Parts: sequence; C-alpha cells; structure tokens
Amino acid sequence: MSQHETGYGASGSGGGDAEYGRYASGAEYGGSAIGSEHDYRGRTAIAVETGHGNGRGAPVVSFENVSKHYGGLRAVDGLTVELRHGETVALLGPNGAGKSTSLDMLLALRKPTSGQIRVFGDDPYHAVKSGRIGAMLQSGGLMPEVTVRELVELVTSLHPKPEPIETTLRRAGIAQFADQRVDRLSGGQTQRVRFALAICGKSELIVLDEPTAAMDVETRRLFWNSMKEEVAAGRTLLFATHYLEEADQAADRILVINRGRLLADGTPAEIKARAGAKRLSFRLDNIDEPFLLGLPGLVNLELRHDVVQIQSSDSDATLYAIFDAGYRPREIEVTSLGLEQAFLAITAEDDRANGHDTTSGNGAN
Amino acid sequence: MAGTLALTKAELRRLMHNRRYFIFTVAFPVILYLLIGRQVTAQAYGVAFGAYYMISMATFGAFSGALNGNAQRISQEKKEGWIRQLRLTTLPANGYVVAKILVSAATTVPSIVIVLLLGRFYGNVHLPGWEWPVIAVTVWFGSTIFAALAVAIGYRFAPDQVQPVTLIVYFIFAILGGLWFPLSGFLGKIGQFTPTYQAVKIGTDVIQGVAVPAGLAIGLVVWLGIFVVLATAAVRTTAEAV
Repeated sequence: MSQHETGYGASGSGGGDAEYGRYASGAEYGGSAIGSEHDYRGRTAIAVETGHGNGRGAPVVSFENVSKHYGGLRAVDGLTVELRHGETVALLGPNGAGKSTSLDMLLALRKPTSGQIRVFGDDPYHAVKSGRIGAMLQSGGLMPEVTVRELVELVTSLHPKPEPIETTLRRAGIAQFADQRVDRLSGGQTQRVRFALAICGKSELIVLDEPTAAMDVETRRLFWNSMKEEVAAGRTLLFATHYLEEADQAADRILVINRGRLLADGTPAEIKARAGAKRLSFRLDNIDEPFLLGLPGLVNLELRHDVVQIQSSDSDATLYAIFDAGYRPREIEVTSLGLEQAFLAITAEDDRANGHDTTSGNGAN
Repeated sequence: MAGTLALTKAELRRLMHNRRYFIFTVAFPVILYLLIGRQVTAQAYGVAFGAYYMISMATFGAFSGALNGNAQRISQEKKEGWIRQLRLTTLPANGYVVAKILVSAATTVPSIVIVLLLGRFYGNVHLPGWEWPVIAVTVWFGSTIFAALAVAIGYRFAPDQVQPVTLIVYFIFAILGGLWFPLSGFLGKIGQFTPTYQAVKIGTDVIQGVAVPAGLAIGLVVWLGIFVVLATAAVRTTAEAV
C-alpha cells in the first residue's frame, strides 16, 4: 500500500505507525492531515502574487552588498537583498552559512564590515530602538527569578506600541504557565516565552532566528498558526531555519545562503524548479542510454532493469522529447522533489563551483 | 528613562526573592555587629569602638551588597543572552547598566539603616541628630561606587571566574579598608587609600567632631571615577560580542 507514506500527516497517532498506515483509510486521512496541519500558509495562492522586485512600496529591509568578516573568515559575503511589506521570508542555509550573522547585523547587534543595511529606510539601531522590529534570537536569554508574566509585562512596558498582556500570552501559547518562574521552564516553553517577547508589541517586522529549534511537533504547529495571525495582521516576517520542510510550508519566499552568499531567491516552487527538482520515473523496454542522457532538462539519470528514473529541471520538456522520439514508456510518474534535494543540489553546485569538497559539509563555524 | 525605571523596578522585585542577598548584605554585618560591637571597649579612629564598628559594619554590608549582587548577575545574564535580548528592545543602550547601578544604590540602603539603628538602640551610640544623615549618606556613597566596579567585573569575566575575582576584591577592600578591624602600621598606611577606609573615616571624623580632611572626600570621588572608567571600558569592549 503506497498510502502509508502519506500517513506522515498522522503525527499525533503515537506508536505503531506502520500498522496505522496499513489500516487507516489511507489517502483520505493523509490528505486531510497534510492539508490542514502542514500547509501552514495556504501557499498556492500566495506563491503566484509574491516573488521579488515587483515594486510594491518601499522595502522593509534592504541589504546592500553587506559583508561581515571575522579575521579571514567571511561569515557574510556581499549580501544584497530586499524584503517587502507583508512577505514571509525564510532564510535557509546549513549551520555556519551566515544566517545568524546576517540577522545579528539586521538587529544592530553586530556591525557590517562593509555595505549598508536599511530597515524602514533607517539604520538598524534606530529601527530596533523605535520598536519597529520584534525579534527572537537563538541565543536570547531570559531574566531569571521572575515569573513568565512579570517578564512579559516588563518587555511589553518597554514597547512604544504594546499589545495587551493577555493577547501576547494567548498568541504565544504561554498563558497556562504564566505564573511559573522563568528559570524553571522546559526548553520548548522557554522558546515560546522568547517568541512572546518578540510579539508583545505591534512591531511591523518580526525577525526570528531558528524559532522552532526546541519545539516538539505539536508546539511547532501552534507556533506557525500564531505566526500566520501575525502575518495576516500585516506584518513582515523573516525567519532563519535549517528545517527545509518548515521553509517550504511556512514561507512564501526563500533565500538560500551558503558560506555567506545568497545562492537562490524565490518561491519554494521556484527554488525547487531551479535545482531540477522533479523526478520522472517510468518503465521502458530496449533502453537507449545515450538518448536518455541527451534529454532536455536532465539533471540526473538512474537505470535499474527496465525502470528509468530521471531528475529533471523541466519535466514537461523531458517527457515530450521521449514521446517525440517515438518511445511509449509505461507507468509514468512525475513527482516533485522535496526542497531538501533542491537545497542540496543548489549548495552542492555552489561548493563545486568554488572548488570545495562537497562531502565534507559546510559547517564553517 | 521610563524603560530604565521599569527595568529597575523588575530588578528590585527579583531581589526580594533572593535570599543570598539578604545573607550577605544584611545578616552578616548585623550578626558581626551584635557579636563584636559592644564587646570591645578600646577606641578606634579616635572614637568609641562601638561607634567605629557601627560605621564599618554599615559600610561593609552595603559595599558587599553592591559588589556581590551585581558582578555575578551581570556575568550570568551576559552569558545566557539576557543582555542581548534587552538590546532588541527599545531600552536605551546604557539602560541595563544604569538600572543595575540604580538597584545597587537602593539595595545598599537597608544594611546601612539597620546597622545604624542597631548602633543607636543596641550599641548606645549617641550622636547629635544631624550627624546620622551625614554618616548614612557618606557610607552609602562610599559603598555604592562599588556597583560600578561590579559592572566592570561582570562584563569582563565569565560566571565561573567572577566568584574568585569578586572575592579577591572583596577581601582587599574589606581588610585594607579596616572594615572588620582597624589596621595599623604599614598595611594601615596602604589602607588609607581605599574608598572603604575613606568612607568609614569620614564618619568617625564627624563623630569625633574634627574637621574632615578634604583628601578623604576627594579620594572617594577619584575611586568613583576609576570604577566608572573600568566599567565603561568593559561594556564597550564586549558590546560586539554580547
């Protein structure tokens, strides 16, 4: 039964997943679960209207040829990018790609070695100090020895446009432990408190560095649901992540960075397409390997007996070429590759282009 | 400024939960005063021992509170990223340090008030009414300047290094300053340069009714200057890394 692959959506079902998949009314269950739980953004509609550089208003954030060097290490290397109002943008890259450094500079925690960053046309420091950015850091600590409510009240009182405390507690999902002491929370709870501090005022731009790092699946789902509320309220959201699934489902625009440089910028669909992210498979007798290798859009070819698997950047063109040559393949399947394969393809291409060993990973720091 | 005051208020509320603070700043000097304050009949710094010990214990508690409370916390909060988090709020850049010093200025008050009250009602120290506030303010100033040194230590050292560093500073200024017992001879001469000695000596001079040498007051201000320079340098150099 092929459905038990889609049983992935049944994340809350506990143990015995394989069994579950076999006996559940497969497609129906999996389908609804994926639709409601995992496609956080309802992306199909949004992907069409966004994209970049389409000139809607002044940029919320602009990086102009921004670099940050630590000694000989180029953590960020000539980054140029603009974010526009209302976008949900994922900053995607492996560890050490320069995500945190980029966000730190955006939040005035670090100064660029060269280049210029503007936030709402102002410098980052003033944007932060005027309360226009709400941010959550990976390394952001909390004041110990106070209760969650006291802490949220404190940070809210610092904001020029505060949200009501109860609203913040509810949106961040921390109301039920608001009277506990901050230093006695679990990792996931702490993460939600940090999130609360990012949304406790009416900031126009929300910046989150690996927001769901310590969260379990359920908390993560709640988190993205409340994020959706924030974006619906007209905010712009930028988040760094190395969870590809999360970028795919939550963002309407993805910036792929590796070793401090911007490698790709587009909708999740565009990113996947760029990396040849469709997989074609079919059965074919009398396989002519040189012909297959010459197909348009072909990125990769695998043959096993009469089964052909092709990774293609333009699956339509590839298929038409096969038909035009008079072949009649059977059991044709065209599937989208995940963002993960796309991402790996893009970064590997970059690593090859720069003469780096692609097998050694990218973890520069 | 409103933000800084909000943070100060929250910090004060935190302190109310902190038992360690009360032990070091209030319980220690009070116990020492109760044990020793009335036992010794000799004179020190030209006044009755009980009067000297009242002033030195008030200074000791306040100084120890200003030094111990902040250094450890700042270092810890820097390590855990709370200072970073605050930098993402609209709190002014120096708001955190200012709040810490304001809190110190407030937390040195209880030990001073309690020990002076003990001196009056248990140690039988009788002074003209105006001398009490003068002594209280001098002791308060002499000890609160250590809040700035605590900022310097907290920013400069990791949490596990802060403890020994503070302890060294603590012993040097407590012993050389003659807070626990009056020093004489060579150490006594060196001790005269410490702010802790200077604060106590201004107090005993007031009690003795002699003119307070300008050098003592100037000394305190110079120390304040030194500590502020150290603190500013420490905060600046670590700003990028915080």
